[in-house]
Amino acid sequence: MATISAMTTRPMPVHAGIGLRAPHVRRILSEHPGIAWFETHSENLFAAGGPFHDAMEHIRADYPLSLHGVGLSLGSADGLDTTHLRRLRQLVDAYQPELVSEHLCWGAIRGWHSNDLLPLPFTEETLRLVVTRIGEVQDALGRQILVENVSTYLRFDDADYTEWDFVGEAVKRSGCGLLCDVNNIYVNSVNHGFDPHAYLRALPAASVQEIHLAGFTRKEGLPVPLLIDSHSRRVSQDVWNLYAEAIERFGPTPTLIEWDLDIPALEVLLEEAAHAEEVLNAGRALAA
Amino acid sequence: MQAALSLRELQQQFMATLYDPAAPGPLAAIAGHGLAPADRIRIYRRSCNETQIAALRVSYPAVVALVGDAYFDQTARGYRRVHPSRCGNLQAFGDALADYMEVFPNCRSLPYLPDVARLEWLRQLTILASESAPIGPDVLAAAIRSAGDSLQVVLHPSLHLLDSRYPVLTIWNYALRPDDEKLTLGEDGESVVLWRDAGEVAMAELDAASFACIAAFVQRSPLGESLTMAQSVDPDFDLDACLASLVAHGLVIGLRPYGTSTVKPTS
Repeated sequence: MATISAMTTRPMPVHAGIGLRAPHVRRILSEHPGIAWFETHSENLFAAGGPFHDAMEHIRADYPLSLHGVGLSLGSADGLDTTHLRRLRQLVDAYQPELVSEHLCWGAIRGWHSNDLLPLPFTEETLRLVVTRIGEVQDALGRQILVENVSTYLRFDDADYTEWDFVGEAVKRSGCGLLCDVNNIYVNSVNHGFDPHAYLRALPAASVQEIHLAGFTRKEGLPVPLLIDSHSRRVSQDVWNLYAEAIERFGPTPTLIEWDLDIPALEVLLEEAAHAEEVLNAGRALAA
Repeated sequence: MQAALSLRELQQQFMATLYDPAAPGPLAAIAGHGLAPADRIRIYRRSCNETQIAALRVSYPAVVALVGDAYFDQTARGYRRVHPSRCGNLQAFGDALADYMEVFPNCRSLPYLPDVARLEWLRQLTILASESAPIGPDVLAAAIRSAGDSLQVVLHPSLHLLDSRYPVLTIWNYALRPDDEKLTLGEDGESVVLWRDAGEVAMAELDAASFACIAAFVQRSPLGESLTMAQSVDPDFDLDACLASLVAHGLVIGLRPYGTSTVKPTS
């Protein structure tokens, strides 16, 4: 495992990055593409060793890094998995990433894991629980984390908050940062029938430290429109439009292109990142 | 009206139905909004199923090649219901597939399949094992001179062993690199050593005495005892050659006199 002890945490550059995926690692090491930063799933580094750690040591030396967790299950009614959290701490210490993030969801209960991002009821009970858990994670890691709003395919009847108020309150009460996934806002606006612009306007702008963009797929044959956050396509035009609005509201923000299924050639991700960079430049011009 | 579920109850019911379609899930707590709650739950069940099966396919490519996609997926669906994922890290999912196949009736026509699965899981453990600096031949020779038969040989964490009643390595190679000709299996089993070499999994068949000796090292048996184990299989076993090969492959990482707990400095 890497030991990059001399490195101190720096702010993430306000540019577009891409998700680091296994099929691209060899080319990234040999060609050193011009991209501002990389993000990897924290769990991909949970093993004690192996070629991904070897690659990450090189990549980390040359690029800023974000560690993005998919398996901590922040919103589980059970306590946090201390083994998982300890391993995350080791990785944060070793790699000193510019950003560390988790999802505002749950994924495990009573030791059973879904390995998926499951929806939370937006109740006061849940809000208090996630605020406590985020605090525990931040204490354990000795640093602020970001939490990400997730795509969902159902809502619970029992709700004290709208989704955007739940996300905003979790961030404000816990003191964490917000990873605003613009695609997830759009997906949920279609799946649950709300105005995505109102969602964006309701978020605490000063807390947004990272934005995610990805492609979705449409589930056919249902009586209602339903989008799946598949991370298997280019970013849709509707989401690009919403992203431009987000940059206008939040100011230029580090932005990640995510792609996890049917992973295309590296060039496609770099093209999508270049598109995001254009939007960021327009935002900079606007702010100047 | 039904009392609202606690968050814990809701999550337990939700998790149960992700693994077992017969469990209804927290249907009464879900807002349908034009789509039946059961259909909304089904989207999550399918996603959970697909994610976990995809992870098993990555870990078990030779089993997939041997039984075909449809059969593998059916086995994987059955597996996840009996052995739900216990870890937020998907790389840890699938460790008991070989044991499951031993008892899964549909797999019994391919009796070697569980051992192929065991070999593939060991490949996963091998590739993900921690790194450790090897010791050189001079250090080994000096340690043998000083500690003799009581020396314990500590092997690299990536090294794993599999002793199979079937020609498991031959089958694995055939599955992923099938020749035009049909494979004719011999009667003999194969004893396999796996290790990591330049970021890749290396595998080799071992003779029975070498396997016995290395297995004794893995058990932290002292050198003299390990030699006795190997010689009980083959009186002509060459310990020096076995040790030299392990050192040459960078697989000896520590040496210590039997009964001590501290690994000696390795250089």
